[in-house]
Amino acid sequence: MELPLAFDAQLFIQLTVNGVTLGSLYALIALGYSLVYGILKLLNFAHGDVYMVGAFIGYGVLTALGGPLSLDIALVPLIVLMFLAAMLGSGALGVLIERFAYRPLRDAPRLAPLISALGVSFFLQNSALLLLGAGFRSYDSFLLGSKQPELFVPGPLVDPVFVIHGVNVQTIQVVVVSVTVGLMVALTLFVARTQLGKAMRATAFDREAAAMMGIDVDRVIASTFFIGSVLAGAAGVMFGLLFSQVFHLMGFLAGLKGFTAAVVGGIGSIPGAMLGGLLVGLAESYAAGYVGGRWSDLFVFGILILVLLVRPSGLLGARAINKV
Amino acid sequence: MDAGGTIPEPPAAPDERERPRVGVDEWVARVEERRETHRGLAGVAHRVLRFVPPPARLALFVAVAATLPLWMGRGDLFAYGIFTLLYVLLGLGLNVVVGYAGLLDLGHIAFFGFGAYLYALLSSEQYGIHWPATATVPLVVAATALLGLLLGIPSRRLLGDYLAIVTLFFGQAFVFFVNAANPTVAGKGLTGGPNGIADIDPLSFFGYELASRRQQFYFLLLAVALILTGLHFLSESRTGRAWRALREDPLAAEAMSIPVNRLKLLAFAFGAAIAGFTGCIFASVLTAVTAGNFGIPLLITIYAIVILGGVGSLTGVVIGAVVINMSFQFLAPENPQDNARLLFYSLIILLLVLTIRPLWKLAAVFGGVVVLGAVVERLVEALAPSWTGGVVVEGGRLAGAVGHWVIIPTGHGRFANVAYVSLVAAVLLLTRLHGNARIVALVPTIYLAAVVWETSFVEQPAVARWILFGALLVSLMTVRPQGLLGTPRVEIV
Amino acid sequence: MPPLLQLQGVRKSFGGLRVIDGLNLHVDEGEIVSLIGPNGAGKTTVFNLVTGIYAADDGEIAFAGRSTAGLPPHKITRLGIARTFQTLRLFLNMTVKENVMAAAYGHTKATVVESMLRLPRARREEREIARMAEEKLGFFGQRLVGYRWDQPAYSLSYANRRRLEIARAMGSNPRLLLLDEPAAGMNPAETHEMTELIGRLRTDGGYTILVIEHDMHVVEGISDRVVALDHGVKIAEGSFEQVATNELVVEAYLGLKAAEAG
Repeated sequence: MELPLAFDAQLFIQLTVNGVTLGSLYALIALGYSLVYGILKLLNFAHGDVYMVGAFIGYGVLTALGGPLSLDIALVPLIVLMFLAAMLGSGALGVLIERFAYRPLRDAPRLAPLISALGVSFFLQNSALLLLGAGFRSYDSFLLGSKQPELFVPGPLVDPVFVIHGVNVQTIQVVVVSVTVGLMVALTLFVARTQLGKAMRATAFDREAAAMMGIDVDRVIASTFFIGSVLAGAAGVMFGLLFSQVFHLMGFLAGLKGFTAAVVGGIGSIPGAMLGGLLVGLAESYAAGYVGGRWSDLFVFGILILVLLVRPSGLLGARAINKV
Repeated sequence: MDAGGTIPEPPAAPDERERPRVGVDEWVARVEERRETHRGLAGVAHRVLRFVPPPARLALFVAVAATLPLWMGRGDLFAYGIFTLLYVLLGLGLNVVVGYAGLLDLGHIAFFGFGAYLYALLSSEQYGIHWPATATVPLVVAATALLGLLLGIPSRRLLGDYLAIVTLFFGQAFVFFVNAANPTVAGKGLTGGPNGIADIDPLSFFGYELASRRQQFYFLLLAVALILTGLHFLSESRTGRAWRALREDPLAAEAMSIPVNRLKLLAFAFGAAIAGFTGCIFASVLTAVTAGNFGIPLLITIYAIVILGGVGSLTGVVIGAVVINMSFQFLAPENPQDNARLLFYSLIILLLVLTIRPLWKLAAVFGGVVVLGAVVERLVEALAPSWTGGVVVEGGRLAGAVGHWVIIPTGHGRFANVAYVSLVAAVLLLTRLHGNARIVALVPTIYLAAVVWETSFVEQPAVARWILFGALLVSLMTVRPQGLLGTPRVEIV
Repeated sequence: MPPLLQLQGVRKSFGGLRVIDGLNLHVDEGEIVSLIGPNGAGKTTVFNLVTGIYAADDGEIAFAGRSTAGLPPHKITRLGIARTFQTLRLFLNMTVKENVMAAAYGHTKATVVESMLRLPRARREEREIARMAEEKLGFFGQRLVGYRWDQPAYSLSYANRRRLEIARAMGSNPRLLLLDEPAAGMNPAETHEMTELIGRLRTDGGYTILVIEHDMHVVEGISDRVVALDHGVKIAEGSFEQVATNELVVEAYLGLKAAEAG
């Protein structure tokens, strides 16, 4: 079927595929922000850097197992291992941060935990810089797992799984989107069905009352941070697999956009984070493709401001009802 | 409506019939709390400040500052004098928005940048426009105030955290616009992209050019003094009270005849105006502006200044700016590393002296650290010489002594990293220990800190600076959320 | 003369819940009217509607003959209506005196520039505001005067906080005072004092007062007229004796059986 318009369908589809993939990443990061904000009303500025650490942990595993061009084990177990290590490592880091930088500030004025979060962000970014230097580390995802890397034969990650209208959808893109969807389904079920999930929702609603009902608020909050950070760690590895380069500042921009996604979707709302992530990913992709790379970030911010002006609590955000 | 006519005689004590009873009279009950907050160094500072009234404080500050050019060289005056005053101004501007009105503005630096760039466009080779400062400064201030107003208008509907988010993005959008977007206007990139705008004219009023550092410094000092005075009067007026009421409880304030929205806009515009003014001076003093000047690190530094001094306090902002800029400059990579080393060890010693009470425990810790170091160093040297073969970076008397005390390996690249991670773990562990366990654990931790300093920090001073700054922010907030000079606030959650 | 405050046919719903339904209420100048009813009857909502925090879905609210529809709360306060809050919303980190002085914003005029330059007019006005605040605080006897002026509001005992809240409302120079449960949480001695105070507010202060109260002793002691609400509807109006013995009122508070028994 021919499209009647002189509209480059192939470009559009390519951009859409990229956007959905990117959006999955942002959605995962956004979930971390949303979960923490929902329960503590805290904007966790250090979240992006947890994501960065996850990416580096993945890289560490990759290097320890022979490096991208000479793997000691098969590709699939490698990737599974990378994900697991990064997720657990980031999760632990998130719990640590909460324990030392936020817990003492539970009842402090609003500004204090924010500044503390920014301090943690500085600390993490520059620690990474100190320990690993400013150079980019590469997952070499193009050649990863390739049978003949010397001849630049591409590895299985970039193999097309299926083709839409002439656009290749790569394995890694499918992997990223499916893992994201899987994680989100798991999270939704977890929050809705499990005891801990219910405790999380109760604590988010009214912390004092939850404590009085016998909920271990400290444990619930630590779990929230753990889950959010696990998702961020996964996102970090995904970034490495998609775009190869990981560096100490990657958390800043990704964090900002993940944050945008959380806010656009309605901060505190899980489906909102997913929706927001998708929107931001698509927006960035289309902007980069149609308007030009220089303006794409600005475009994304512009969308955020627009959404907030029209719907101040985000697209799916809850309207706060205050009894006077 | 008159209520009662005459004012009853003020009593010597409340409810004179009975003495105040602890538990009944809350003010009495809180005596211990007040005593607590006034202990230690901060307490001394508090008490001193209370005795010295604001006009005297200002006079003292100006008098001391005015002597600076007499004994500081041009380079030092620039770094220590002018930059400190610029930080003071930035802190004052942010203080109006965050401290007085309680609005969480995370994009404040964008106003600073806007002012700087606008001034640069009007007084440089960029488009060949060279207006005198008498024209540009009022124009820039007015334009920045207008920008503040524009940012404030949509944010009226936004509650606290959303305001933070929108302003944060506004700040980021500004940086992106200036750095990456750089639209082409009249044949040139408007903002010069990553290179920014250079060759900016110094301020010139009625033909008199502020070209020398001295002139610039005195002008800044005058500006700071005038703005401080104006802000102090404003704070004590009905507008200041209304801002504080708005910060406490916007709903109640609105019910008490305070036009909350209008005051929020006023705070935004006012803070922006001050930031814009500072931007002019910054651009003219540096003679060049780039996007890199206006990023998140600066934002956090200004927030740190405002918070360090206790949000809302003018004196606090000044002290915060002085302390922070002085430390930054002292630790600047261009300065000899011995400075930093001196500061680092002095700070550790100071911290120990201030926090460890019985003198013998203090001596034990000191002694322990020195002995531990000497012993470990000798042992390692005997067993594996390559581990102590390294040279202490940059000589100096202190360096010589340190060289025989700290393990500095050669060619063991991972060592520094492992030491660093161990230090972080050790410090975190330290916070979980109490009493004597903590004292004992302090000894190896301090030695480890010295090792880390000599093996990694000293090699990358710029990075070390930010790591310590981040750690400082976290520690300060967790230990004393109201800032060093602030009073604990009661918040309605 | 038209009543000072008049509500006619006012309706308000939140989502699907009809909180106020066709309410007619009036307060004449110089009166003290009590508004009673079980919890959830909509009494505080009436206050919120009158002060402009909520907008009525239907009906009219007029103050001194003038409709208040569409006016923001701070403008309504300037017209001459001031309120206290059921849950106490003081400016806790400001001093006692500053709390009252803050409320004077609406009837003062010093501009930002005048304040920054400390011009004579601004200084004069400041002194007047301070004197006014001391006067209002003096209304409460010795409790909120002298060195208490400069103490932060969070250091006050509960009863003193309630008093300060009223003093703050007085600071905006209102004609009508809306007091939301002024005696809540007070012991009998304090309650008695509060009853006297409300009477004095009318005689010495000249205020017209609309009070929400649960404590019937207070209601009995102060009211010219009592209005009873239940589920957003007025169920009785009249003197205290008339309303207290009204069947619908007894049923609303104590249940049907009590009404039948009683």
